[in-house]
Amino acid sequence: MNNLLECRNLSKYFGPVRALDNISLSIGRGRIVGLLGPNASGKSTFMKICNDLLTPTKGEIRIAGFSPGVESKKIVSYLPERNYLNDWMKVSDIIAFFHDFYTDFNKDKAYDMLKKLNIHAGDRLKTMSKGTKEKVQLILVMSRDAQLYLLDEPIGGVDPAARDYILDTIIGNYNENATVIISTHLISDIEKVLDDIIFLKEGQILLHKTVDEIREETGKSVDSLFREVFKC
Amino acid sequence: MAWELKTDRPIYAQLIEQLELRICSGIYPPGARMPSVRDLAQEASVNPNTMQRALASLEEDGLLYSHRTSGRFVTKDVEMIRKTRNKLAQEQVHEFLKKMGELGFEYSEILSIITDLAEELIK
Amino acid sequence: MLARLMKYEIKSAARLFVPLYAVLLIFALLNRFLNPFEVLEAAENFSIQIFIRSLSIGAYFFLIIAVFVVTLVIIIQRFYKNLLGDEGYLMFTLPVKPWQHITSKLLTAIIWCVLSAIVIVGSFFILFESGHIELLTFMKDSIKHTFGTTGFVVLPLLIIAQLTSGIMMMYNAMSLGQLFRKNRLLASFGMYCLLYSIQQVIYVICLLLLADTSFFSLIRTGAPTPKDINLFLGSIAIGGVILAAAHFVVVNRVLNRKLNLE
Repeated sequence: MNNLLECRNLSKYFGPVRALDNISLSIGRGRIVGLLGPNASGKSTFMKICNDLLTPTKGEIRIAGFSPGVESKKIVSYLPERNYLNDWMKVSDIIAFFHDFYTDFNKDKAYDMLKKLNIHAGDRLKTMSKGTKEKVQLILVMSRDAQLYLLDEPIGGVDPAARDYILDTIIGNYNENATVIISTHLISDIEKVLDDIIFLKEGQILLHKTVDEIREETGKSVDSLFREVFKC
Repeated sequence: MAWELKTDRPIYAQLIEQLELRICSGIYPPGARMPSVRDLAQEASVNPNTMQRALASLEEDGLLYSHRTSGRFVTKDVEMIRKTRNKLAQEQVHEFLKKMGELGFEYSEILSIITDLAEELIK
Repeated sequence: MLARLMKYEIKSAARLFVPLYAVLLIFALLNRFLNPFEVLEAAENFSIQIFIRSLSIGAYFFLIIAVFVVTLVIIIQRFYKNLLGDEGYLMFTLPVKPWQHITSKLLTAIIWCVLSAIVIVGSFFILFESGHIELLTFMKDSIKHTFGTTGFVVLPLLIIAQLTSGIMMMYNAMSLGQLFRKNRLLASFGMYCLLYSIQQVIYVICLLLLADTSFFSLIRTGAPTPKDINLFLGSIAIGGVILAAAHFVVVNRVLNRKLNLE
């Protein structure tokens, strides 16, 4: 298998709810992929399964050939949609923590990004606003030289200027061995940056195409197509 | 010059146009070395793969050429750049004429409007 | 990786324990100089001196209770918050196996229990000016008399084994509690009661099974030798280790296959 991420008939049920329903998917290296769908469409569930935070009910998933576990965690950098930072550490402490546990963590890159976003390494996480904490988490995640980046709603809570910086970082961080999967509902901000689009609806894949294929075939932006497909 | 990208057309095609525009207007002069794909992608805030495709297409057309070790350059063929420039001008005029036609103008009227405006500008 | 996990585990709790221990020891020292016991005994009527002395000795005993409570709370909180709360999103995406998380939490918890005990005993020694040697010798002799020399090995083992199974039972209750979608804290408490009941049933069954053995008749006659007592305590310790291992297996299984972060 040459693909970085491969899943076959992947399903996750929570009681009667089918959070993911028979998903088969291949994603190669060097792609920036948008995982788009309304709330509760299975985006976060999918990312959690990739990170071994949930065990699939059925089907299988491989990341660079590994089942989710210690080996896959070494090469996957995950930004969950919630704040996982503890209160008592300083930014420099959490950077040391990442450096201790991830061999691919690049300290200089982290400090460089902190500087650009005007965050002081000596500040305590406790004193920070929600948006700043989100930025710190994103810095930690993007400072790893991982093979797969899984970003769950990375631009939801930050201001437009920081949003631009984040997208800029994702582009600047691009390398042909690594793939970035971004889940979001803020499509218009991000669609220029994406190669591929995956629409998820009620746990199923509705569409998997490149941005330009969508624009060419429909004459619409991904954003307007999304609004049309998921019209309430 | 800012990168203007519309949301309803393929990004790849728009990048080709914008790059042509930059070459013709001398932002990237003949024989000059092009910035890296990553830098260009960052500048335009677009996907690096899409930028790469646009550059490859321009290379196929001959407007750019690449050197195995030192990167990608603008062609030194000034004649070719001139042709591209004419092509872009024609596209602009076509677009303009189409819109004026929609407004109900005859060609003779359009021409007189243009001459009048041009004279005013020269003064 | 285990060592690194423990490093952060110790660091995170040390910020609470170290100041608490320090304050307790300082109050022990303070009370030694204020000598409240004699003053209070000799006191006939109220004075500001007596007020201060009762306040300081009260604070000292309050701090001892605080050390117990904080130790218990931290053991629970480090597992519940760090692994099963939002911080779990970070901990479980580290390239570390769940058993390493459990082990690092468990070992650190035992270390804090032992340290808390040592600090409390140490504070007694600071509080009272004299009689340390006599007390130690007395304790040593009593242990030797009842348990024999083996007692010095069996008793600490018993304490550690019971501590381990007690902590693991709390971990187990919490990991079973997180399987519920709502009211997880309440569910964890319910699970603890359930596990406790199961454990009691197991104890009763074991006692019934052993009731007719010669060993029990020895205890009933009231003349067990140190060897018998050590054998008895030793088997309780082994029972504790078996229970702890059973809890460990369940917790590991749940964290591996049934992790259910909110």
